Amino acid sequence: MAQTPGSEARTGLKLISPTAIYVILLLAVPLATVLMYSVMTGGRGNVSLPLTFENYTELASKSVYGYLLLKSLMVALIVTAITVLLAYPVAYFVSFHVKPERKSLWLFLITIPFWTSYIIRVSLWFVILGYDGVLDKTLMALGIMDTQLNFSSYGIPAIIFVLAHAYAPFAVLPIFVSLEKVDRSLLEAGQDLGESRWVTFLRVTLPLSMPGVIAAALIVFIPTVGDYVTPKLVGDGKQPLIANFIETQLLKLQDFPQGSAFAVVSMLMVAFVSVLFVLANKRFIGGQK
Amino acid sequence: MTFSDDRPTMIEFKDVHKYYGDYHALRGINGTIKAGEFFSLLGPSGCGKTTLLRTIAGFEDISSGVIMIDGKDMAGVAANVRPTNMVFQSYAIFPHMSVEENVGFGLRKDPRSKEEKAKAVAEALEMVGLKGFGKRAAHALSGGQRQRVALARALILKPKVLLLDEPLSALDKKMREHMQVELIKLQRQVGITFILVTHDQEEALVMSDRIAVMFEGEIAQLADPETLYRRPATRKVADFIGTMNFIPAEILSEAGDKVEVNAKGLGHVALDIAQAPEKTGEAPVVGLRPETLTLLYDDQKAPERETDGVIDEVIYFGDMTYYDVYLGGTDVEVRLSMRNVPGRPVLDVGTKVRVAWSPSALVLFR
Amino acid sequence: MKKAPFLRSYTLFYLLFLYSPIILLPIFAFNDSKVVAFPLAGFTLDWFREMLSDQNLRIAAKNSLIIALSVASVSTILGIFAARASVRYRFPGKAPLMGLIMLPLVLPEMIIAMALLVVLLSLNVPLSLFTVIIGQVLITTPFAVAILTSAFQSLDKSLEEASMDLGETAWSTFRLIILPLVMPGIMASFLICFTISFDEFIISNFLGSGQPILSVYIFGQFRFPAKVPSMLALGTVLVCFSIILLGIAEYMRRRGIAKAGGKDSGGFL
Repeated sequence: MAQTPGSEARTGLKLISPTAIYVILLLAVPLATVLMYSVMTGGRGNVSLPLTFENYTELASKSVYGYLLLKSLMVALIVTAITVLLAYPVAYFVSFHVKPERKSLWLFLITIPFWTSYIIRVSLWFVILGYDGVLDKTLMALGIMDTQLNFSSYGIPAIIFVLAHAYAPFAVLPIFVSLEKVDRSLLEAGQDLGESRWVTFLRVTLPLSMPGVIAAALIVFIPTVGDYVTPKLVGDGKQPLIANFIETQLLKLQDFPQGSAFAVVSMLMVAFVSVLFVLANKRFIGGQK
Repeated sequence: MTFSDDRPTMIEFKDVHKYYGDYHALRGINGTIKAGEFFSLLGPSGCGKTTLLRTIAGFEDISSGVIMIDGKDMAGVAANVRPTNMVFQSYAIFPHMSVEENVGFGLRKDPRSKEEKAKAVAEALEMVGLKGFGKRAAHALSGGQRQRVALARALILKPKVLLLDEPLSALDKKMREHMQVELIKLQRQVGITFILVTHDQEEALVMSDRIAVMFEGEIAQLADPETLYRRPATRKVADFIGTMNFIPAEILSEAGDKVEVNAKGLGHVALDIAQAPEKTGEAPVVGLRPETLTLLYDDQKAPERETDGVIDEVIYFGDMTYYDVYLGGTDVEVRLSMRNVPGRPVLDVGTKVRVAWSPSALVLFR
Repeated sequence: MKKAPFLRSYTLFYLLFLYSPIILLPIFAFNDSKVVAFPLAGFTLDWFREMLSDQNLRIAAKNSLIIALSVASVSTILGIFAARASVRYRFPGKAPLMGLIMLPLVLPEMIIAMALLVVLLSLNVPLSLFTVIIGQVLITTPFAVAILTSAFQSLDKSLEEASMDLGETAWSTFRLIILPLVMPGIMASFLICFTISFDEFIISNFLGSGQPILSVYIFGQFRFPAKVPSMLALGTVLVCFSIILLGIAEYMRRRGIAKAGGKDSGGFL
């Protein structure tokens, strides 16, 4: 208990060491390895010296890589925008129009789908939207359609739809939390000063809840940009995104240096966009002062 | 409330320093606390009073110096073997235990039989006025009850020193005043040394045998309540404890045990050297407590000195009225308090008055 | 509360959207037809029978259970260490270490899986359930740390001090005071890590060397239309299972807050 700063630091380090050693060995070292591989030469399952930047120049020179990165980025950003826009009114409703004692129940209802098997949810869409799927067969049985709609084969739009559904509950919670923090007397003050409810929302509530919106965007963006299952199942597997492409490069082609370089660039892209989100958040927080 | 100096020493501080990184939290604490004393550490927040208490308990190491408890150096002695027990500001009642389990917590390694321990718990609960509350769940208690449980839990171990960290600050005013009296009674009953940390000067004055007033990691004055109130050692102490009027003054002469000053609005006054604490180098002022100034009605005569004045503000408190009065045609304003007894009307702003005062009530800060 | 009929119906509609595929699970799991489509053909338990008699499914479920139990235990223990250290102590390198531990939250899972796979392959470590466990622990530990951090934070430090003050040692204080009070958090962490691990696909797929693991098995089976109804039956069971686990986790979390005398300030995450 009685501790000098030195002994406190020692106890703290001792306590965290099992977890720290675990993540250093099994996370930091592998990530560093990927980074190292990305500047080595080689192919088909082996890597060797000399060190080279060729893998990166290769990435830059071939448009297929850039196209893939850009496509994945666009898909993830669209999904993010859709989920956040759809989630905001829900979060607003629960925060402002639900009795405090009922809020937990609503949040619980919203989060349950998130905790039910992701694989099953995505696969269900495949069953629903795919060729001979529930949607098509039902529509045909009811005589509304006479040909297969086969929405699942629509590629990118189908992927976006399924991802937006899969990550929807992620967006509600952070927005809800930031709305809960909005001081209710500020809103009364806004209306007291003669603003309409809508203008008060635009000038007070929305800016104050921006940190939650940006947190929500981040929470949706990161897993969607790296999603593997959805492009594989829906979209007929013909629209690979980053994760599918990394698999092809590293496992199927066994091109470790090139695959590593691609993984590094994807990581940088995700990090870059995330930093942009965080900076935007800082601006909002700064702007409130 | 006098305290005899011949009691044995319980705690002794010798040049105690405490650093948190670069922050110098305790800056050379010296002093003794006597056995059986009700001792208070009084000061504004951040003055180091809680840190000092926690160094006694053993929750904080000291950077240098010595703390002795009952003649033993406490360096390297862990909190769990020190002869002290603490009542925490938050009471720290274990929420997953009943009242009984809380109070008996420290008896786990006690060699006594189960029945004897249960008896001790029951006695401790009775002592703090919670007889029959043993089976209650801790979270079902009110603030005052929690505090009693915390007291019983600490006292059951019969510590040499009981440490109380702002124990009354979470209670409302009525309850606080009630508990102040109860704590004093309890301390007399058990005879254990109590050390109370508080920022409430009234609380410290009411409860303590002696008080250490702390500012910025140092003890500014260590004295009994009356001395502290009547003869504060510095202007800062005077300002912190109660209300005091400060009147600019000029030192005319200082010879033997007399100091002669010219105080603005009061005129020439000869003071005893006892009324002038050690020099601190600040601009000289004389201090006067509001209750040592009296308004003279009609043809009343001042027993010692009197000065003319004009009432600038009247603050009516029911039992008392406070008057702010300009003294002797100067811009020196003093506050004085008058009891509202029958036949003594409350005066209006602008009334010309005569103010009686006594040179012996003055304190000179220089 | 002010009434907001439009927002209310929008929210209900949104919930319907969230639940729409899940609602189909029990409907078609009990539907007496190989074809998954409306109109329904009648009630049957055949699909549940088929599910129960599926030998491979049984192995996959057993493997998943072994993995999820191991992952939940390991990451909760690692989480206890990290959360306790970060809440209670200051030490050099704390921010980068905690950042590294929480990193998998902001890293695409595929990249973690591939990085680990590359290292395992180059060290000639054979892929097995063990390698899946190792990988999944990386993913679930941040969740454990987040849950346990809030559990340790809601613990008043003076409770520990009071226990020490009353004669207990650091270890007995941990056993008598800290552990009972954070136990609900530990249970919640365990259940949530278990659920995440049970559902996890990418690491199970790439670090498992084709061992039957439930999520991978489900993913494969959905491609065969004939297998779909029994998969729907399995899905129904799993969803019920998840909801029960979640209910328990939420109950634990609330009880933990109530025990520590705090106020409820939100749900998971």
